[in-house]
Amino acid sequence: MIKLLTIDDSRTIRRVISGIGAMLGFEVLEAENGAEGLAVLGEHVHEIGLVLLDWNMPGMNGLEVLKSAKANPRIRHIPVMMVTTEGERDYIIQAIQAGAVHYQTKPFSQEEMATRILEAMGMGGA
Amino acid sequence: MAISREEFDLIRSFVHEHSGIQIGEGKEYLVENRLTVLMVQNGCKDFIELHKKLVADAGPLRAKVVDAMTTNETLWFRDASFFSAVSDFIVPQLMEKAARQPQVRIWSAACSTGQEPYSIAMLLDHARRKSRGQQAPPLEKFQILATDISPSVLVIAAAGRYNQLAISRGMREAFLERYFNKTGTMAYEVDPAIRKLVTFQQFNLKNSFDGLGPFDLILCRNVLIYFSNELKAEIYRKLHARLTPDGLLAIGASESPRGYTSNFEQVMVGGAALFRPKKGS
Ligand SMILES: C[S@@+](CC[C@H](N)C(=O)[O-])C[C@H]1O[C@@H](n2cnc3c(N)ncnc32)[C@H](O)[C@@H]1O
Repeated sequence: MIKLLTIDDSRTIRRVISGIGAMLGFEVLEAENGAEGLAVLGEHVHEIGLVLLDWNMPGMNGLEVLKSAKANPRIRHIPVMMVTTEGERDYIIQAIQAGAVHYQTKPFSQEEMATRILEAMGMGGA
Repeated sequence: MAISREEFDLIRSFVHEHSGIQIGEGKEYLVENRLTVLMVQNGCKDFIELHKKLVADAGPLRAKVVDAMTTNETLWFRDASFFSAVSDFIVPQLMEKAARQPQVRIWSAACSTGQEPYSIAMLLDHARRKSRGQQAPPLEKFQILATDISPSVLVIAAAGRYNQLAISRGMREAFLERYFNKTGTMAYEVDPAIRKLVTFQQFNLKNSFDGLGPFDLILCRNVLIYFSNELKAEIYRKLHARLTPDGLLAIGASESPRGYTSNFEQVMVGGAALFRPKKGS
């Protein structure tokens, strides 16, 4: 079964994303900070189809997590989507330049997030 | 991140010109969500720069932008009343035709990831099996042409490979068993005999239809809704010219050619409305 990984310090956001993932037929793994997220990624590298990565987190921020994932040849191929309150174009450009395949700004509706997830996984949008 | 009015207008007129797709007022988020990644990947700092590139260079970037702006939502056997009409009435008619004429041609004119043409192909094969092959014409008599403007959906369609999620959207258990091979843990591949019936090709409905058909059945479902009224009228005219005199046109459940052409008459097939060329039109 293809899994998603949400890395977010907000338990609520992780819950919401797990719900949306389940609705789409994916199991969702959770991590509450960047370091834990990178560890889970390394452990489940063959199952994870997409990472949903928060930007503002204590410890490593999302951009740093993204950069270190992309610097690791074992996990760099796994697509990462940023989930962020930082809707400014400059932020988004930075994330895409660092290798993010997509982004979703917060707050989001269920439908929006579901569409973004499918798009990021190359399954077309709704 | 607030796309400006100027950026929005430039992009939407470009998309309209190259695909016929109309992006409505208030759909700024669609442009932003679907094109920002392409914009950045192509070294542009905003959509004005992206537009400049698009105008200057007729290369693959154009196709990628149009591709990103298409809505490819589809399912297996989409619209139950239409597909019961297909299996109960249309397929038997096509079988009879195939007994009389050398070829029966079907066109799925906006096939997206392939669910629509493959659903038809499976129903054709299913009908042959039910008749135990006695007088049923061979499958080779049927040709299904499946086209779409979007190159990326055609890759999926031609590969005929679907994940669990795509399968769960409308595929029936019995058909899944009969017409798919399981590959890997999560993927299903359409049986080669079914795949062989369908030819996939990129095609823009804005282009001339010269050289296509004539077809005994055309499916042009859930695509004209994205176009302007003028383009709808033009495409209905072109579709009409590509149907055999007794051919049938299927459109989406919420669509109607009324107001765009008077060349078609509605026929009720089972519980579904289809359209055929008016006599002498
Ligand atoms: C919503 S899907 C419909 C798929 C299928 N016919 C169904 O009813 O489920 C619409 C498809 O039309 C395609 N499309 C949009 N503009 C087109 C054009 N100008 N020429 C050909 N196909 C186009 C899109 O790429 C998309 O795959």
